[in-house]
Amino acid sequence: MTDDKTQKAHLSRRQTLMMMGAAGVAGLMGPAAIGRDQAFAANADASGQLILAFSQEPTVFNPLMPHIEVDEGVYYAVFDPLFDFDPDGEYFPILVAEVPTVANGGISEDGLNWRIKLKEGVTWHDGTPFTAEDVKFSLELTMDPDFRSFRSTGYKFMRNITVVSDTELTWEMSESFAPMAAILASTYIIPKHAFDGVEDKNTAPFSNAPIGTGPFKFKERMAGDHIELEANADYHMDGPYLKTLIIKYVPDLNVMYTQFKSGDIDVIGLQYISPDHLAEAETLPNKIVTVAGTATFESIGLNMTRPQFQELAVRQALYAALDKTSIIDALYYGVPTPTETYMPQQSYYYEPDLPKHEFSLEKARKLLDDAGWKPGADGVREKDGVRLSFTNSTTAGNHLREQAQQFIQQTFKEVGVEMTIKNLPPAVMWGDYWMNSGFDSVVVGLNTLSGADPDTSDYFMSTMSPALGGSGQNTFAYQNPKVDELLIKGAASFVPEERREIYQELQRVIRDDLPFLPVFQYAVIKGRKDDVDGPAPNVNNRIETWNVRDWKRT
Amino acid sequence: MLRYILSRFGQSLLLLLIVSFIGFAVLNLAPGGPLSQFALSPGMTQEQIDKIAAQMGLDRPLIVQYFDWLQHMLVGDWGTSYRDGQPVLHVIESHLFATLLLMGTATSISITLGSTIGIFSALRRRSVFDYAMTVASMVALSIPTFWFGLIAIYIFALNLGWLPAGNMYTVGDGSVLNYLKHLIMPACVLALVDVAVWSRYMRTSTLNVINQDFVRTARAKGLTRRRVLFKHIVGNSLVPMITLAGLQLPMVLGGALVTETVFTWPGMGRLFLDSLGYSDYPVVMGLLMASAMLVLIGNLAADIAVALIDPRIALE
Amino acid sequence: MTAATTTPPVRQPFIKSRALRRFLSHKLAMIGLFMVLGLTFACFVGPYLLPYDELYIDLRARFAPPGTGGHIFGTDPLGRDLAARLFHAGQISMAVGFAVMVIATTVGSVVGVVSGYYGGKISAVLMRVVDAFLSFPSVFLLLALAAFIQPGPVMIAVIISATSWMEVARIVEAEVKSLRNQDFVQAAHMLGLSGRWIMFRELLPNAIGPIIVAASLTVARAILLEAYISFLGYGIQPPLPSWGNLLNGAQQYLGSAPWLAIVPGLAITIAVTGFNFIGDGLRDAFDSRAQGQ
Repeated sequence: MTDDKTQKAHLSRRQTLMMMGAAGVAGLMGPAAIGRDQAFAANADASGQLILAFSQEPTVFNPLMPHIEVDEGVYYAVFDPLFDFDPDGEYFPILVAEVPTVANGGISEDGLNWRIKLKEGVTWHDGTPFTAEDVKFSLELTMDPDFRSFRSTGYKFMRNITVVSDTELTWEMSESFAPMAAILASTYIIPKHAFDGVEDKNTAPFSNAPIGTGPFKFKERMAGDHIELEANADYHMDGPYLKTLIIKYVPDLNVMYTQFKSGDIDVIGLQYISPDHLAEAETLPNKIVTVAGTATFESIGLNMTRPQFQELAVRQALYAALDKTSIIDALYYGVPTPTETYMPQQSYYYEPDLPKHEFSLEKARKLLDDAGWKPGADGVREKDGVRLSFTNSTTAGNHLREQAQQFIQQTFKEVGVEMTIKNLPPAVMWGDYWMNSGFDSVVVGLNTLSGADPDTSDYFMSTMSPALGGSGQNTFAYQNPKVDELLIKGAASFVPEERREIYQELQRVIRDDLPFLPVFQYAVIKGRKDDVDGPAPNVNNRIETWNVRDWKRT
Repeated sequence: MLRYILSRFGQSLLLLLIVSFIGFAVLNLAPGGPLSQFALSPGMTQEQIDKIAAQMGLDRPLIVQYFDWLQHMLVGDWGTSYRDGQPVLHVIESHLFATLLLMGTATSISITLGSTIGIFSALRRRSVFDYAMTVASMVALSIPTFWFGLIAIYIFALNLGWLPAGNMYTVGDGSVLNYLKHLIMPACVLALVDVAVWSRYMRTSTLNVINQDFVRTARAKGLTRRRVLFKHIVGNSLVPMITLAGLQLPMVLGGALVTETVFTWPGMGRLFLDSLGYSDYPVVMGLLMASAMLVLIGNLAADIAVALIDPRIALE
Repeated sequence: MTAATTTPPVRQPFIKSRALRRFLSHKLAMIGLFMVLGLTFACFVGPYLLPYDELYIDLRARFAPPGTGGHIFGTDPLGRDLAARLFHAGQISMAVGFAVMVIATTVGSVVGVVSGYYGGKISAVLMRVVDAFLSFPSVFLLLALAAFIQPGPVMIAVIISATSWMEVARIVEAEVKSLRNQDFVQAAHMLGLSGRWIMFRELLPNAIGPIIVAASLTVARAILLEAYISFLGYGIQPPLPSWGNLLNGAQQYLGSAPWLAIVPGLAITIAVTGFNFIGDGLRDAFDSRAQGQ
């Protein structure tokens, strides 16, 4: 992979902060990365304790079962994937001796044969040696029809997993599928011996007493309060440098921030510091506060089966009437970055030259006038008996988003568009209502990528819409033959330069077509005490503990 | 007597059955479900969600699910949590201590303070104190608990910085003092409403006792006010409070739920809200049943206690 | 509460007027009445007197403290006038309170009168249902219900009613039971009047005192419960304001904009206190024995 990062023309204060964060990482990653290929450094000097707080409670400890973001916060500490993404989107080896590529022969030219070579001498937390059998078990369990597994994408092409030796295994793919590597990067390997003689693997004792190969051992869980992890002295990479890692559950963002301020917690994790506290947080003594971009993008998703949204002119008009700047600067305190696409700007596959959004009520009105949408008696536009009126839904209780919604409602009204707010409790919102496209429009934050891989077939392929008889996550019910063609082409190619062309074109097509109105790419405000070293942004992972093995107190 | 207790017990069981059916129907008839929390995760396709739903038995008719649940319940199997795969009883148990600590402290405060206020109000009937307490208790009953909690946090945690804004203790510091610092604000907030209730009832109860013959006799015998007060009035007025304690339970539990939310207290109320958010039906059902049982046991115990004291009730 | 367990006299019209006189001379009740009427007036007339529309968003005026720029109670995170929002919220919250009063009192009265009149098995079944509902902590039940419905004022009123009718049912049942065997009911039986006539034309009017007391307390309770569930995020949803959901967003800004929490909380407290005072006055007015205490 060539490293030609796209330079940003204008740097806002936040972006500068982000870049500084990234620079700090590079400095820190250097020495660590060197040690990475030679396994087994002596890890005698683990010391100190660190309290990391999350505003949700991690509860699922079998990483192959359905889980949410926060659970992965624990997985990175307790388990290891075969390999993972660094902040630049490059793979680095963890349990494997080298990351399989077409170049090194790990993946065959046609992408149908895979060969994985594992590190030697790795042990599980209970002392049992780690072997290729464990990897085979983890992959097969994921495919087991009786097991509640987290994902099937990619795995359904996997065949004939064969253990060649304790440190080597091979398998075949029924289709060439480039995103498979990224899927493996978020597949944590679990021990086969923990499931010996277990009848129902869904309820194995392992789920509450996980054993991994990761830098920390699972010590104790106080339900509803915290999880205590302790250093794995036999860890096979550099680290860990902390004796104890406590993952604390603080269900309220204000309380979490207050505790960060008072020093009760050392690192403020998932859900982070809320944007309205940014100004104050930056002035706190002995604290390091950084803004880091994530791969999640906020958009107004449109249900493309609704008559109101059939015309491109309508979608363009709605986009023109969207006052992004006010939403980002005022409601979100300038923390997120405006975007035109679903691809994070840190990605190698990001298309920087998309048409720039321009907020103009004039333009919106003109677009609608020209397309023949005339204001009715109540001021709401209509055409051929269709009123330009629709509902907009999101999770009830997400305050910032609800504020944005109400603000958008007001600006839309000024161009003769009636948007009614219909928010639902989370369990209802993201159930059938979302999956089967029961909504008119939604405000949603989505991460459509698997790690750094650019494939988004599950979300944008026309055959992936449950509402149209498909079985994926294309809940906008978006259908575009050109998009389908590009997605198929992109998933079959293993050449980064080639894939980049394809996915950049895809972004241009989607930007022109506007099945969703992109608002911004999320950024989160992370905070830590200044004696904590290690936490680093990584847009390719869902949570900050991705490098917890490197964290230390200074 | 035994027959009375048995029949009351039978009635309670029947009640639990009704309660369980209502609860189950309410939860499971609703749209959404436990899998919706995964809908935004990459790779969680409709196909995958359907598969997991079938594995968990969520695609069966409601009535089948209910009888399946009931059958397990009858042999003491409360099911397993959808979230962490732990037995429901274990999940509830691990949150029980926090709630009991909070409720216990709050109840102690409210009984002590409430009884004292009630007795003095009764002894100084129609005084300024009595009148002020009447008004104060009615206002206290009208304040939303959570709002009172917010104001307390604003004053004592955010402005004065005397007390922590939430949680039960600081990790790594398990000292009693640390617990106390975290406990005092939520316990006082939760106690507020109960102080009002207790003082009202205690006042009425004390008034009833004061006017009875034995108190007049005691006074006539020339016993000091203090002796009469402690020996005769206080003891006798507390008896009717037994029933009240039983009846107050659901209210205290409900209050604890809201208080725990405001103060991020790791108890059953917090668990209930979290479980509701994740549609963890087995745990939600478990908590509904547990609280219903607690309430029924409370009522039953109070009834029996009163029946023991007053045998005429059993004849009804 | 005590009224429920004793046998009240059959009330004649002139006693009612005496009750009214007693109510009017009850100081707390008058204060309560004043509070409730004042607040109602503010909520329904106030919006016309304010210079700002409750829906008008002005991002430049975010978080204006009370008293600045003509905002008597300040502004919210979208720069909307809090006073205007508060008054509109009051209309919703009070409407929910009254709706619950009507529904809960009606349901409770019907259940109570049927149960008390027929007695026996019907009574046993109905009263067990009442007990079943009473044995849930109502906030738990409310949340369980609210988490899965389309949250709007009507549905919220319905589910609060579902957890508020039992008290009335118990009171009416006890009242009717004690009246059942009295002369005027026996006379009605002999005249061949139907059960329905006797229940609703003879028995119910005689239980009207305790029902009115319970009704006024139900309003107070309903306003509080609406605030609870909306505060926890399961009640009435923005942009429709209610006192509870104004508070829901306020916790986040407790440090920087405390008025967002203080003002709606005060409104709730005033309204609920008012109704409780009125209830207290009514109880004293209808229950002549209470005069002694």
